[in-house]
Amino acid sequence: MRLDPEAIRALVHRDRVHRSLYLDQEVFDLEMHKIFGSAWVYVGHESLVPKPGDYITTRIGRHPVVLSRHADGKVYVIHNSCGHRGAIVCNEEKGNAQLFRCCYHGWTFKTNGDLDAVAMPRGYGKDFDFNNPALGMGRLPRVGVYRGFVFASLSAKGPSLDEHLGFAKESIDELCDRAPDGEIILGGGVHKYLFRGNWKLQLENSVDMYHVPFSHESTVRRSGKQFGRRAGEDSASAISDRGSAAQRWEQRSAWGARSSGHSYNGHQPIAEELPDDPLFNAYRALLEKRHGARRTREILTPKRHNTAFYPNMTLQALNQHVRVIVPVAVDRTEVHVYPVMFKGAPDEMNKSFVRHINMTHSAASLIQTDDLECFRRCQDGMNAPGSDWVWFARGIDTDKEDERGDYTNVGSGEIQQRAQYTAWLRLMSAEG
Amino acid sequence: MLDKVTAAVAAPLGDLRTIEKFLFNEVQLLDERRFEEWRDLFAEDGAYWVPLEPDQVSPEGRASLFYDDKRMMDIRFERLRHPNIHSQSPPHRTCHVIGNIIVETIDENLGECTVISNMIMTDYRMRNQRLFSGRVQHRLRQDGDGYKIVLKRVDLINCDDVFELIAVPF
Repeated sequence: MRLDPEAIRALVHRDRVHRSLYLDQEVFDLEMHKIFGSAWVYVGHESLVPKPGDYITTRIGRHPVVLSRHADGKVYVIHNSCGHRGAIVCNEEKGNAQLFRCCYHGWTFKTNGDLDAVAMPRGYGKDFDFNNPALGMGRLPRVGVYRGFVFASLSAKGPSLDEHLGFAKESIDELCDRAPDGEIILGGGVHKYLFRGNWKLQLENSVDMYHVPFSHESTVRRSGKQFGRRAGEDSASAISDRGSAAQRWEQRSAWGARSSGHSYNGHQPIAEELPDDPLFNAYRALLEKRHGARRTREILTPKRHNTAFYPNMTLQALNQHVRVIVPVAVDRTEVHVYPVMFKGAPDEMNKSFVRHINMTHSAASLIQTDDLECFRRCQDGMNAPGSDWVWFARGIDTDKEDERGDYTNVGSGEIQQRAQYTAWLRLMSAEG
Repeated sequence: MLDKVTAAVAAPLGDLRTIEKFLFNEVQLLDERRFEEWRDLFAEDGAYWVPLEPDQVSPEGRASLFYDDKRMMDIRFERLRHPNIHSQSPPHRTCHVIGNIIVETIDENLGECTVISNMIMTDYRMRNQRLFSGRVQHRLRQDGDGYKIVLKRVDLINCDDVFELIAVPF
């Protein structure tokens, strides 16, 4: 094996990573095995399968899985593969079923993945064991749910979900707490886009504040301000690289986990002032009824702008959405963006959230398309000879260790990406 | 069916030849990147909508690929004119073809008619040519001797696909 742990270690330095991480098929195959095949991977949200029999199909890395709600009311993550000959069993993106039935020989499975019945069973010999669990679709070794967010691991061993999420978990809390009923709903459909680049480009970018004034230059209107970030707003803070606004972006905090790979950026200056309109005030009153004025003020001033959960899910507090990264090939990635609705919030408000994400994150949107163009150019440009490295050195001399042993720095640094490659190196160089 | 179309042609509001010219001009403005003139074809309360789901009932509460009112179009096209819009350097080129145009309903009271057509758009950028097609519904409102668009809805046959970046409306 060319990529033994020693060879892997040579690809990642504290301030840079080797370009083969984005270009090399063997590296990608190993990532699918060692990262997506072992770590806690975000699969979906409970609100996507509210009723018994509801299911969605997705992938963990290249591995097809079904997230289902079984008759017992619990969610299950099962292999989307018939226990008989291996065919995909659930062929639609979503649906509701009492049983899953394979198209090929008619075997049926319960919505928790167990074998239900084999067609024409008498044809099997008397020693054939229909109770063999391997004949079912099979459940993933570990599944964990935190406030509706469903994670699964293809490995039976490893840290608990709670340990894995660590301090980043509070980003999920911040988002859910903003719902008057304390739960989010991904009930607004999904934007799906594709780019011809490696999956890590999207993960790095999701917590990259350095790129904003440059990549998104075209979102700054003639007035020097960016278009409205909330429904009803005409324009928000300037993101130009001139003057004080850029410095405010610079001053925001960033956090990177010591080993899990998660990271977040602190509160964004353009979220400082709360709206004052009848709809927002009605929403605010609902929160105050539940939490009181002081706690409501806290809830409405989230500390975290965006968070990347290694390896495949990100949250944004302002353009509020859950984003899922699906690696397809070494140079091809799908991204799914789910607008976040707040359970218990006024309908009109949830609708405005959904509408807003059309503007910021559809494949025809005004923000995401800038990033997609940059990803494509990165993937293309990295093939050029001249340098073997991709650099994440910004702010490296000023990283501070916090009381948890994690790291903090300013938002426009690259501590977020350094955290990601610390996790990459740990997982990729692990034995086994 | 033929009778119905013939009847529609006779009604001034649903004159097929006039509508055809209007629709041909509309997509030509997009292909020539005369976006601001395209925007001006819409009524003040007009909207451009491209759903992300087959048979999507409403743009409210469900994600859409495009759901632009005129204010949003202003922002979109101001950005498309920005000198540093990286995703349009070089720009997409597009070519629309529309056909199978049918006047579906006529409402003399409102001064509006609904027109269905089939659309094919190819776009090209950087050695990547794509083909989009779908069914288009226009709600047109009489306006002087012409029309204003109250709603242009484009149902792409691959509306729930995974898309690479899109810049120009269908």
